[in-house]
Amino acid sequence: MSAIKVMVVDDSLFSRTLIVEILRDSGLEVVGEADSYDSLIETYERCRPDVVTMDIVMPDMDGFECSRALFVKDPNAKIILVSSMKDEESEVEARRIGISGYIQKPVDSDYLVQMINNVMAPDIHYDHLLAYGLETFKESLTQNIARMTKSPVSFASYENFGDHYLSQGITAVIGLIGRHSGSMILDMSMETAERIVEMLLKRAHRNREEVLSMVAELANIIAGVACSMLNKSDKTYSLSVSPPSLFYGTGTEIMSPNLKMDAVTAGTNFGNIFLGVGFKKGSSIWM
Amino acid sequence: MDVSIINPLLTAFTEVLPQLGFQSVERRKVSKIEAAFQYNGILLNISLFGTVKGAILFGMDIEAAKKFASKMMMGMPVAELDAMARSAISEMGNMVCANTCTQFTKIGITDLDISPPTLMISENGEATLPVPKSIVVNFLIDDIELSAYVSLMNK
Repeated sequence: MSAIKVMVVDDSLFSRTLIVEILRDSGLEVVGEADSYDSLIETYERCRPDVVTMDIVMPDMDGFECSRALFVKDPNAKIILVSSMKDEESEVEARRIGISGYIQKPVDSDYLVQMINNVMAPDIHYDHLLAYGLETFKESLTQNIARMTKSPVSFASYENFGDHYLSQGITAVIGLIGRHSGSMILDMSMETAERIVEMLLKRAHRNREEVLSMVAELANIIAGVACSMLNKSDKTYSLSVSPPSLFYGTGTEIMSPNLKMDAVTAGTNFGNIFLGVGFKKGSSIWM
Repeated sequence: MDVSIINPLLTAFTEVLPQLGFQSVERRKVSKIEAAFQYNGILLNISLFGTVKGAILFGMDIEAAKKFASKMMMGMPVAELDAMARSAISEMGNMVCANTCTQFTKIGITDLDISPPTLMISENGEATLPVPKSIVVNFLIDDIELSAYVSLMNK
């Protein structure tokens, strides 16, 4: 296995040298250095590091600003903040914008190296979520459709969500918040939704609101039950479900640019239901 | 929904956008809206969960979105709203919402977290927000019009 490639960003030549020495002594490969915002992006693109260590206080733009700029270039960048200042507020913001770790100066060499290794190590919880996430949502969909409509569900694989998905008519988007945050997308045609409403209410739908609110509720139940199942399998997921946003209109393109989604098509007696689920690799070292 | 709930978002806009290369962030109109509304162009959805929950959405027409992405990419021309442009706009949403959570922390709401962004593109789309009464804020960012929909409720 080749050494982990690290890029060091710090405006102080002394600090930079110190960090570079620590990394080299530990067998990591330092592929680039930058001392400001200006040199950061160019260096990053040239040397493609696995991990970036980022100072917070710098002359032109601070480490948060530099990190934001870097995430715009590469949403999957792995950044560890290195700073003499560390308070709860900046820690929380760092975590939310997707920074992987935060370490205080003076840098403890063992701690820094361990953090870099952690950032690069496979995350068992996340891998488990990737392996069982969609399966659990499928199970929840099957269970709840069966419970509500006494009818079966079959699944056809949906060949990767990829770039985008074209809505059949009604889309519910639910945010999944927890150790690893994610999204669930449920999409079906107006006709499918109308047929489900008809089945549940034993009469024709009265208006579009009635149909839309059924889709919202169905999405809510499926996501809620699936998250409960995942939380039961491992309580550290601590997943919660946000209320659904609904989108209506055929020809609507749906995409999740910075998140890989797994998707399937569920065949029901009422029509096809598209189910997409994705989780973002969180930063387990924050927990 | 109390209008003051948008203050964290307003602060987030003025803090984050200059860091992404924008010169001026001007707040235009603030209005309350019903849950359902029409949109044309892009709509970016980010869910929030904690003591308050719901979603924040960002809307722009396609031309505005291209200009916006181009500014974020240091003026690189954006002819099509391609994967890179969409990713840039999604990151903007992510950062503004992350910063909004941080602003909420300052008024004692410390437990918020956000979901990854989902992007919708439609010519004649309709959206229904998670909360019946929401607030829309119209911004002029440099010369680009952007609407932010704040749809949050207390848990």
